[in-house]
Parts: sequence; C-alpha cells; structure tokens
Amino acid sequence: MAIHTERTGMDGDPTTVRATNPEVRTSETIPPTERKRNLMKMNLGPQHPSTHGVLRLELELDGETVVTCNPIIGYLHTGIEKTFEVKTYLHGLTLTDRMDYLNPLGCNLAYCLAIEKLFECEIPERATVARVLLAELTRINSHLVWLGTGGLDLGATSIMMYCFREREKLLDLFEWMSGARMMTSFIRPGGLADDLEPALLVAIGEFLDDLPARIDEYEDLLTENPLFKERLIGIGVLNGDDAITLGVSGPILRASGVPHDLRKSNPYIGYETYDFDAIVGQNGDCYDRYKVRIAEMRESIKICKQALARMPGGPVKTANRKVMPPPREELGVSMEALIHHFKLFTEGIKPPAGEVYLPVESPRGELGFYIVSDGSGQPARVHYRGPSYANLQVISRMAEGGQLADLIVIIASIDPVLGDVDR
Amino acid sequence: MTTPPGTLGAAPAEPVVEEAAPPALPALLAPFGDAFPVAELGVTQDGIASIRVERDGLLSTIRRLRDELGYIRFIDVTAVDDPSVDPRFELQYLLYTMAEHRWVRVRVETGESVPSITDLFPAANWYEREVFDLFGIHFEGHPKLVRIMMPDDWVGHPLRKDYPIGGEPVDFTVTRAVYATGDRRG
Repeated sequence: MAIHTERTGMDGDPTTVRATNPEVRTSETIPPTERKRNLMKMNLGPQHPSTHGVLRLELELDGETVVTCNPIIGYLHTGIEKTFEVKTYLHGLTLTDRMDYLNPLGCNLAYCLAIEKLFECEIPERATVARVLLAELTRINSHLVWLGTGGLDLGATSIMMYCFREREKLLDLFEWMSGARMMTSFIRPGGLADDLEPALLVAIGEFLDDLPARIDEYEDLLTENPLFKERLIGIGVLNGDDAITLGVSGPILRASGVPHDLRKSNPYIGYETYDFDAIVGQNGDCYDRYKVRIAEMRESIKICKQALARMPGGPVKTANRKVMPPPREELGVSMEALIHHFKLFTEGIKPPAGEVYLPVESPRGELGFYIVSDGSGQPARVHYRGPSYANLQVISRMAEGGQLADLIVIIASIDPVLGDVDR
Repeated sequence: MTTPPGTLGAAPAEPVVEEAAPPALPALLAPFGDAFPVAELGVTQDGIASIRVERDGLLSTIRRLRDELGYIRFIDVTAVDDPSVDPRFELQYLLYTMAEHRWVRVRVETGESVPSITDLFPAANWYEREVFDLFGIHFEGHPKLVRIMMPDDWVGHPLRKDYPIGGEPVDFTVTRAVYATGDRRG
C-alpha cells in the first residue's frame, strides 16, 4: 500500500526549492578557507531532550545552516555483547530487553528464534500466535513513544499526552501479562514464560477496538496541521537508492519508496498467513516517515485482531525438555523431569554447536541476532545487529545543508533508540 | 574470565555444519556455483549461504556479489575471536539481495588487519569502526578508523576473548576509596 502526500496549499514543493536553491550552503559549496574563518562549532547533546537519549552531535554551523554533522555515540555502551559470553542463554534474555528498550518483546523474539533455530525445536501454535500478537503490540507501543516524543520536539506538547495515555494502557496490559511494564522477558526460548489468560486477551481486544479512534485523534492534531506540514515536508530527504546503499531499514527505508519489510519478504512466525500491507512512502522526507509509521500502527492493529481471532488453545511451552523446564507437577512423580529441571537450572540450556543469524522486523527495521554456540551453556559469541545503528549513520547525509531546527525534526524522524545503537 | 576451558577451540563453521545442511543446499548455492569454488561454499543452520574466502580475495568477492549477483545491500559485519587458532579472528560479512530476498555470508579468517570495504559499501563505515574498537582489527583504507563505542583513550579491545570481564574498576570507586581513608583533600 502506498501513501500519497497532498501538497496543496503550500508555496511550491520544499523539496525542489531546497534542491535548486543556490543559496544553500553545504560542506561541498563552502570553500575551505572560508570554513575555517566563519564556521561555529557546536555540540548538540549528549544531554539534550531532543536527542532521545545520549546522542551527541558535533556540528559545524554557518549561521543557522548545518555544514557538517558528526554523530558521536557510545555514551550508553554497556558491553552487552561481552556480558552475554558469561551468562547462560536464559540470563542473556534479560539483557535483550535492555537493548532496544522500546521494543523489548521484539528483541526477546529475535533472540529466542535464533536459539530455537539452533535447537530445531517445535513451538506450539498458541505460543507462535501469541508472539505475533505481542510483537505487534510492542510495535504500536514503540510508535506511540516515537509520535509523542517526536511531537514534543516540534513543540506540539499535547500529542505527547495523548500518546502516553494509550501507551500507559498498553504497559498496564504488559504488566498484567508478565508483572513488568517494560522489561518483560516474556518470550522465552521454547515458547512463552506463561500462558495468556482469557481475561487478558479480552482486555487486549478492547484496547485494540479503542485504538483506531485514538489514532484518528492524533491525525486530527497533526496530519493536516499546516505548521506541522511546514516543519516536516521536504526535510531530511533520502532517496530510495541511497537508502539501500547506506544500509537503512524499517520505516525510513519504506518511506523512501522501497517496499521492503521482512514480515513480507522473509516471513517468520507465520506472518505470511496474516492479511496486512507493507506501507510504502514516496518522497523519503520526514513527513512520509511520519505517515508510514502512523499507517503501520493501523496495520499492526489489523494483525493483532487476526491473531486474537485465531488464538488456538493448547500449551505455550515446547515439549522439548532440553529447552523448557518440565511443569512443576511432574517434578514430584518423574525422576526424568527432576533431572531435566536440575540440569536446566544449574547449567542452562545447551544449544548444539553452530551459528545462526536471525533477523526480525522491529519497529525500527532489521533487528538480527547472530549467535555462535560451542555446545556449552554459554554462548561463544552473541552479536546484535541493531536497526538504529545503521539508520543513525545516515543522519549526516540528511542534515547537512539544512537548518539547525530541521536537525531536531530529522532526529525525531529517525527514531533512534540509543540502547539499540550503543548496546 | 569464566569461560570454561576447552570450549574456545570448538568455535563455529567446521565441516560438521555443511554435513548437516538441509536438502535445499544445491538450489541455495546454485547461483554461486559458477562464480566460486564449491569447496568454499556452505549453508549454516539458518539457511544462509556462506562463502569462505582468503583475505586477499575479500574485496573481489564482495565486489562480485554486489555487481554480478545483486547483493546490493550491506547488512552487517562482525568478528568471532578464537585465540587458540591462527589467525585468531573470523570476520563475517552479511549482504542481502533486494531481488531474491536472501542473505549471503562471506567469511574471512584474518589476523589484525584486513582491507576495508567502505569503498564498495559506505554503510560498512560504522560497523568496521565497531569491529576495530572492540576487536582491534585494522581495516586498511577506512576513511576514519577511530573508536566508536569506547572512550578515545581506552586501552585494549573488550570483545577479545583474552580481555577479562570485570577487569575495569567501576566508576567512582576511586572516590569512595579516597573518602574511606579520610584524606579528602586528595
């Protein structure tokens, strides 16, 4: 499904205005001699509300124009990839929550799918459908935070309140599900941590029924708002070819007109059986990224409803005792169950030796786990391919030549999560 | 260091993997059959075709994959360290074809230096800096090979297996020690 941006009521297309304006000064058009004399160096961040975490941008400004933009990251680097190597696989799961902290269940999912790929173990149907439901709810959650904070960066303070109202309901549902609001660690290797109780599924259904009207509300506030359009249209343009070459993924890639969504192109956990569209933009500017994400929320609602409708009964944990511990009641009557329980909780799960890269489509793009197992209870190497890392790399390309105020819009449109970048 | 002894040598990608490959192997590897020696090809558990190349053949392989076989999108590069073998690092490049929606993995075993692919894939810039920072592998020809995760004055490369975990003092413990002695004027 492609979205179209109505550009009526504006004085010319800002995209072309910007491209053809000889007055725009970039690192290429300004002679080096002049640069030394007149440019102002400025640090944006790492402690700045609009950088969405601890991102630091080293800027060279010519008046209000950004001449060079050099992102400096690493302020949130906590050595998670190293920490994985001394944890069991189950302990490692809790670290994945804390990487992309707006998409904890998506990170859980990729990590668990990678481990299950090593085991080749069967996952019960109910767990698979529930995973789709949870992954899409997390996508909605993440996009709500993006919309709220992104609006705040532009000075639209009320949208933040609206978005966080819905997000709060969603976090309540996660709390009901797992006991934790954000760091749920609910998707486990071999299935889910626990079953989803029927009353919770009803509550999720009610939330989903309510949500489309809420998204209409957000759109009433922003989509046709002339101030909002003025700030977004034609800003931070990235064309499709550049987006592919520069390794961008997710909504930014699709907003540039490239119809690439891993849920469509390389389906996992049964996404090919759900009816939804991959949303594609045209112009690759901030406004298209906004529209793509808004439309994606609506698609996610569609997927969630289908998952709820088809939610089968049965267990949510695999019967493979090398991955999931046996149920509590078996421990008293089965020696074998007791042994499995003991081995799992002393040594952890031990995937067969091998290596696996498993990507999923996170709210920000291609999120992949690369796991090397040597057959022991601890991974030999875990590498996390975060979508924000590649997306943030492109910020200089988008920002250079533009205004300083537009840079804030561009950061918001990239939607970086610094936990995802720095790890 | 709590990595159990004797596990390091059992690292990835030995022929065992190739033997256990699914029957889809010929079809998956068919596009590469003409371009690369069959002995260097394999498929891992995740169903991704992999090509093992020598260090000198890295750039030509990547260029061929990009220009002739349509792998135009750079996904990832990372390293696996195994100090018990020589050379100790194995680099893993991951590329993606937008036409056939498939990944391909290029592996190269290397010491501490390898040619940079940033000329072919500008997106590899930060990824190579990350590998340089955390593993200490030099990418020759990289436009700006400086640390990206760790502070600029950091010593050592944390993701190497012989770099101890917990070897760094936690911030502010020094201050606390000074307070404990009562010598607050420092």
